Amino acid sequence: MERLLQYIFDGLSLGSIYALLALGLVVVFRGTGHLNFAQGEMAMICTFFTWQFHAWGLPLVVSVLLGMVAGFALGAGVEVSLIRRVAKKSEAGVFVVSIAMFLGFNSLAGMIWGNLPPEEMPSLFPDEPDDFVKIFGAVWRYEYIGIMVVALLLMGLLFLLFARTKFGLAMRAVASNPESARLVGIPTGLVLASSWGIAAAMGALSGAMVGGLAGELTSLLMFTPFIYASASATLGGFDSPGGAVIAGLAIGVGEQLAAGYAPGWIGQELRLGVALVTIFVVLLFKPSGLFGSAKVERV
Amino acid sequence: MLKINQGSPQHWALRTLGIAIIALVVVWVPTQMSTSRIGQFSDAFVLIIAAMSLNLVLGFTGQISIGHSAFFGIGGYTAAILIKDHGWSPGYTFYAAAVVAFVVGCLIALPALRIKGIYLALVTLAVAVLFPTLVKWKKLAWLTDGAKGIDSVRYDELPEWPVLGELKGRDGRAVFAYWLAFLVLVITYLVCRGLVKSRFGRSLVAIRDNETAAAVMGVNLTATKVLVFGASAALCALAGVLSTLRTGVITPEGQYVTLLGSIVFLLIMVVGGAGTLWGPIVGGLVYVWLDNTTRGFGSESDGVIGFLFGWSDQSPATLILGLALVIIMFVAPYGLVGLIKRLWAKVVLVVPKPAGTSLSTTGK
Amino acid sequence: MSLLSITGLAAGYGPLEVLHGFDLEVNQGEIVVILGANGAGKTTTMRAVSGMIPRRGRVEFDGQDISTASPDSIVRLGIAQVPQGRGTFADLTVEDNMMAGAYVRRDDVQADLERWFEVFPRLRERRTQRAGSLSGGEQQMLAIARALMSRPRLLLCDEPSLGLAPLITQELFGVLQKLNAEEGLSILLVEQNANLALKVAHRVYLLETGNVVSTGSAAELAADDSIRKAYLGS
Ligand SMILES: Nc1ncnc2c1ncn2[C@@H]1O[C@H](COP(=O)(O)OP(=O)(O)O)[C@@H](O)[C@H]1O
Ligand SMILES: [Mg+2]
Repeated sequence: MERLLQYIFDGLSLGSIYALLALGLVVVFRGTGHLNFAQGEMAMICTFFTWQFHAWGLPLVVSVLLGMVAGFALGAGVEVSLIRRVAKKSEAGVFVVSIAMFLGFNSLAGMIWGNLPPEEMPSLFPDEPDDFVKIFGAVWRYEYIGIMVVALLLMGLLFLLFARTKFGLAMRAVASNPESARLVGIPTGLVLASSWGIAAAMGALSGAMVGGLAGELTSLLMFTPFIYASASATLGGFDSPGGAVIAGLAIGVGEQLAAGYAPGWIGQELRLGVALVTIFVVLLFKPSGLFGSAKVERV
Repeated sequence: MLKINQGSPQHWALRTLGIAIIALVVVWVPTQMSTSRIGQFSDAFVLIIAAMSLNLVLGFTGQISIGHSAFFGIGGYTAAILIKDHGWSPGYTFYAAAVVAFVVGCLIALPALRIKGIYLALVTLAVAVLFPTLVKWKKLAWLTDGAKGIDSVRYDELPEWPVLGELKGRDGRAVFAYWLAFLVLVITYLVCRGLVKSRFGRSLVAIRDNETAAAVMGVNLTATKVLVFGASAALCALAGVLSTLRTGVITPEGQYVTLLGSIVFLLIMVVGGAGTLWGPIVGGLVYVWLDNTTRGFGSESDGVIGFLFGWSDQSPATLILGLALVIIMFVAPYGLVGLIKRLWAKVVLVVPKPAGTSLSTTGK
Repeated sequence: MSLLSITGLAAGYGPLEVLHGFDLEVNQGEIVVILGANGAGKTTTMRAVSGMIPRRGRVEFDGQDISTASPDSIVRLGIAQVPQGRGTFADLTVEDNMMAGAYVRRDDVQADLERWFEVFPRLRERRTQRAGSLSGGEQQMLAIARALMSRPRLLLCDEPSLGLAPLITQELFGVLQKLNAEEGLSILLVEQNANLALKVAHRVYLLETGNVVSTGSAAELAADDSIRKAYLGS
């Protein structure tokens, strides 16, 4: 029972990071219909920005916020300068450009920061060995609680933005029918740039939390979280923000349970494998994810 | 501008000239160049084969796969295991690897058929990520040797191919690997060309352009897609075998076995020109050239390069690759072959035969 | 006084020129119909006026040059378009669709919402339903209501009758005529059904392959033999 609770709790905490990143993928996909393959690498670069701000003496919280601002600028800048231009030339071009960014950002981070010894990344939350409370026998580390709370809070804010604000309405309108959105006078360019910006800012926050958990930064920081996030978006349905969040949490919990209860068979190495295979099976029965609509066809 | 009628003597002369130049280069490389250069060309051939296999799926059916590194790995591991554990002669492992990959490819394609667009791309991404973890899985260590991989996979003795003369030592092995890769490349090219120009191939293009229309035309969608995916997997496995035989090792994190491999294949195809027969060839040569040229850029470089990249002690090769990709997407969104064709058309215009006599297009 | 004044309008898609430079005018308070066969360039004209595609020539709205203006600034100036095929936001609710129509407005829009719900009671019944789940006629009403939410002075309507039952079409045209008569809303309407068009129009333009080939009052065109043969089938 305690073990079960422990796995669920740990799973929800990690899952909320996947959910945050997955939500970023979904926001971009709904806006432009593209998979941003570089989502994880953009988050990684922003985490290095955060680290750099912190290294220059700013408080960590401020650094993370600045990292998110930098993320927004990076995401929006990429959309304006590359994505929308190449989208005019060829549909597949956007995917290729996002792969190019995946490679480019990864290499750039290595070139700028990689020659330092592995950097210490402080956590946003208390993370000493004894920073935890015991509830029903399960260990609730403050850091895990903090991650979960912050991630869920940000996602809650985003959902408010989508549902309650004029700008959110514009984002939903663009996702639903870009042509009509332009006709009613929505500045679609601004909306798309913001979508990319918001996604990258969320990535920056997840990066800071993943980095804090790992304790150090490398250019590989976000690769595995990105895979989990794309798995979550796939499972939830690529055009369903709510689906992405639920799926992210479910995958977090599921992999903890699988790894926890079948350590001999699955253990650490195959955790990711379990998640991926599950998704494959789900897609067989629901080819557009659990909560997605069937109209998603583009790459 | 020069105007030439398709099928006229001039046209044939032009084609013959083109083929002669290519043949000359192909022979020139192993006889005149350094061993390391020969190795680079062999590497390019391997990548071209892999990109061609991917091209079959994406270029001709419009399906995207980021999972082909897994088939590359399957090829490599099949060869390594058969040679090391079962004492097979390397030559036969090509057939075995192709069969294994074909079966696995079909098995993956079968359920993937229900899945489309971005979801299919992500399923293949999952396959690419899954393969190395599966190979490292401790329950499979008896077969794959886990994380450390399998080494010393090679020809104990090079087979004797009289045309090549006597091949000895390291240099001989390099020359042999070159010709072996070239042979497989030619076969792959012919298979792809045959598929594309056949009735079957035209049905592939029908699928790419319009599924409903293809269904109406009576193309069996399921069978076609599964077979194409299987064939593509098999060809990619050949590239894996070649690579393993050339380097002698295969590991779960090895070159082209991980997701990075899939990405490289994909870019080669895109840079060269997706959906064209010559695209992967141009793309592969350009990729290997760019990679080898930029790999050494860094703090030792001088001039502009030193100024641009000297500040870091890490190689900027991947960054440059990324930048090159972006530029190519802007100047040649349909790949270099498309660009070359466009430029070439300004010099020589091949006037097609009157309608009805021939459907094939010319020029490369 | 002319509200919309187009001179030498040329537009197309990429290298393909579809409109070859014609003139067209909509006066304040008029219903003007563009009549033309499929592919004549009617939709392209609407898209050019709304700023959705690059265009050459001069387009003036209320004395202001909008030849190079962006779609959102054109909506702000007071032109709203009901696109061909309705173009509703299928996965948004009816109410959200209408709110999106009011995107360019900064003042309170609640009263307008109520007002169009009065005019189209069926939309009120379905206000929380997804637009995609509405019937064709209801979607067309929604598209019109959405366009009206921006308080336009000129309404562009691209084939609103397409695929609708005659009764529904009549109802819709009734609403449009009423808005025109009572509020002085100017309307530029694209229609393929000439009988219908001539009934509601003050003036008509006949478009053939990107050129205006004939224009005049509805009565004049109805009297023209060659036009009767080609478009009225009698
Ligand atoms: N998006 C487009 N891209 C290229 N050509 C188009 C596009 N839309 C319309 N056309 C072409 O422009 C011409 C006029 O189309 P359109 O304005 O839609 O005609 P109408 O509305 O009168 O039926 C047609 O020949 C059509 O094929
Ligand atoms: Mg039309």
